[in-house]
Amino acid sequence: MLESPSHSDDDLLRLIARGHEPAFVEFYRKHQKSVYHFAFHMSGQTEVAEEVTQEVFLTVMSVAKQYDSRRGSAVSYLYGITRNFVLRCLERERPYIATLDDVESEHANTLVQERDLLGELARNERIESLRKAVLALPPAYREVVVLCDLNEMDYAQAAGVLGCAIGTIRSRLHRARALLMEKMRAAERCAV
Amino acid sequence: MNADERDLLEGLQELAAEGPRQAPVHMEQRLLSEFRKRSRRRRARAWISAASAGAIAAAIAVLLWIGPLRPQHPVLSQDAAVFADETTAGFYPLPDADGLPPVESAMVVRVQLPVASLELIGFPVNQDRDSDPVEAEVLLGQDGLARGVRLVD
Repeated sequence: MLESPSHSDDDLLRLIARGHEPAFVEFYRKHQKSVYHFAFHMSGQTEVAEEVTQEVFLTVMSVAKQYDSRRGSAVSYLYGITRNFVLRCLERERPYIATLDDVESEHANTLVQERDLLGELARNERIESLRKAVLALPPAYREVVVLCDLNEMDYAQAAGVLGCAIGTIRSRLHRARALLMEKMRAAERCAV
Repeated sequence: MNADERDLLEGLQELAAEGPRQAPVHMEQRLLSEFRKRSRRRRARAWISAASAGAIAAAIAVLLWIGPLRPQHPVLSQDAAVFADETTAGFYPLPDADGLPPVESAMVVRVQLPVASLELIGFPVNQDRDSDPVEAEVLLGQDGLARGVRLVD
């Protein structure tokens, strides 16, 4: 292990490029959750999230020496790689992703038994509808929702990751939320 | 912010907290073993490059020393090809040598390499002894770049 686990991402990437194993471990542990979380919410599938996470860190091993901090932060660099892999997977698995059965089977076992069973069922149903609505968004809108609303990234960071202006993020997020609200209202009408 | 928006944001917060939060534990091990493998390969390549650089320097020194003794007219290219074939026999090609031009005139230099570098040419390597030295001959092409390696006994 590194003596001090507080290296900056730039330092870690430099060390990784030189083959420093503890630096790779630290970098992986620091970022794997957000990479996995982003891939999972973009695809709705754990298999895709795992595949993407693995590919992202294998790529980091190979291209760490090409990282240039003047061109953007390490987090943007990492999300840029992640995004490319996710979009490639979405393209490849388009007919299979975001279908109702897939998403339900992924999370069927996450239902928790609580005292207020009805309330819990309603809550799970609402989250499930929302998950489907997010997965049904066009990728350009989905990624801003996943980055800003699910991964708690601020607009500036999201703009760095997606390589666009902050205003674009703001307008896409506004449009994405409007689409989500429409979908949720439609789902509620169907339920009634 | 209206009530619908508030509900949506609350729902998104709940969604963010749902589902798997991180990659499975075995992934770290898998990536680490790949990282180690790549580091070993990188070290071996560095050793071979360093050995080749030393060999090139030695070759240049030798050529400068014997230069005045060379005949005015070079040997025919046919002879050179035969010489190259005989010389390259028994050498294991290096992975990066495929893209290099064919050997027309060669030089063989004896060097010491770490055992780990043998992994590059497909030898099974004992991981515990991968930094031990082993004596080998490196085949250098007319451009001074390493083409192959041959173990000395």
